[in-house]
Amino acid sequence: MQTMDGVITLVQESRFQLIDDHGVGHLFLLSHSASAEPSQLAPLQKRQAYVRVSFQTAPDLIAYVAHKIALHPSTP
Amino acid sequence: MTVHHRAQDHVASSLDHVIPNESELTAGVLIEPGKSYGFFTDTTVCIGCKACEVACKEWNNLPADSIGLTGQSFDNTGMLSANTWRHVAFVEKSGTGGVRQQEQTAFQSGWLMMSDVCKHCHNAPCMEACPTGALFKTEFDTVVVQQDICNGCGYCIPACPFGVVALNPVDGKAHKCTLCYDRLKGGLEPACAKSCPTDSIQFGELADLHARAERRVEVLHERGLDSAYLYGTPGAPGATGDLGHLNAFFLLTDRPEVYNLPAAPTRASNRVKPSLLAGLATIGGLVALAATIFASET
Repeated sequence: MQTMDGVITLVQESRFQLIDDHGVGHLFLLSHSASAEPSQLAPLQKRQAYVRVSFQTAPDLIAYVAHKIALHPSTP
Repeated sequence: MTVHHRAQDHVASSLDHVIPNESELTAGVLIEPGKSYGFFTDTTVCIGCKACEVACKEWNNLPADSIGLTGQSFDNTGMLSANTWRHVAFVEKSGTGGVRQQEQTAFQSGWLMMSDVCKHCHNAPCMEACPTGALFKTEFDTVVVQQDICNGCGYCIPACPFGVVALNPVDGKAHKCTLCYDRLKGGLEPACAKSCPTDSIQFGELADLHARAERRVEVLHERGLDSAYLYGTPGAPGATGDLGHLNAFFLLTDRPEVYNLPAAPTRASNRVKPSLLAGLATIGGLVALAATIFASET
């Protein structure tokens, strides 16, 4: 599974935008089988936490499907 | 054109704060809990720019879906879905029947365009079908799916007579237009109505919108467009089958079916009692038949 590092800047329900290290925004949908709940996204966005998202591409969507969100290992 | 007196309070091009009750400036309406709000979509001034679709996707962080060409229309969105809560339908009236017409009518040149959306029914069938209470009426008289309560059962999907609600296979939940519930709570006009360049989508208090729509129909009739009528207002087509009225209603110039709208939508719950009675009658009939056969053989 691919991973992407960045900061969550926008959250709407189970959808969120991640700004990667190059300043590019990516849209993610939280999978129904993800090891995270939509209610956990807003606190991450509020904290501007640096996270690592494990994801797959979504069929017929310009978005990625997030399966796991974790604080980046470099986060103290 | 008159400018609202409050507009003078915010003359800077860059603001460091949200304008309080901004809807008063952009839509001429103050958003207050306890009142009914909705959309009046005047299809005669829709130019098919799809600004509403884009604004909806931008505000709600919705991804583009149905990538590729449909091959059957200039409309590349196709339909409402779990990721598309506004859909501008392109209906080409000329050239049908295998003959491309050479003469165009002066009005809209043979094209009908309509920005479709959830109708936020007064008696919402999706809400009645929801077993978890995820679908609820907000303080603004709109219908919203509460995502953390939705269990993805999908009962709301066949219950909707307009085919609006859809399940997203990625997160497994039902999605539809929220009439920008979060924006209403912040005193903002819904994104689609605010972005509409021709005011085809008008947001406001329902009673005001009904009066505005009726005036618009009268004006169109005076101009010779006798086919103009309202769809979804009390007593009008679209507000049938105990739906009451639609908070998102339309001004149309052709039959509802032409716009992919049902001519006489109904509540699914209206069919529960007759279906149940028919089922019970069938069982009773079969038991009586079996008893008769059994009695005749013994």
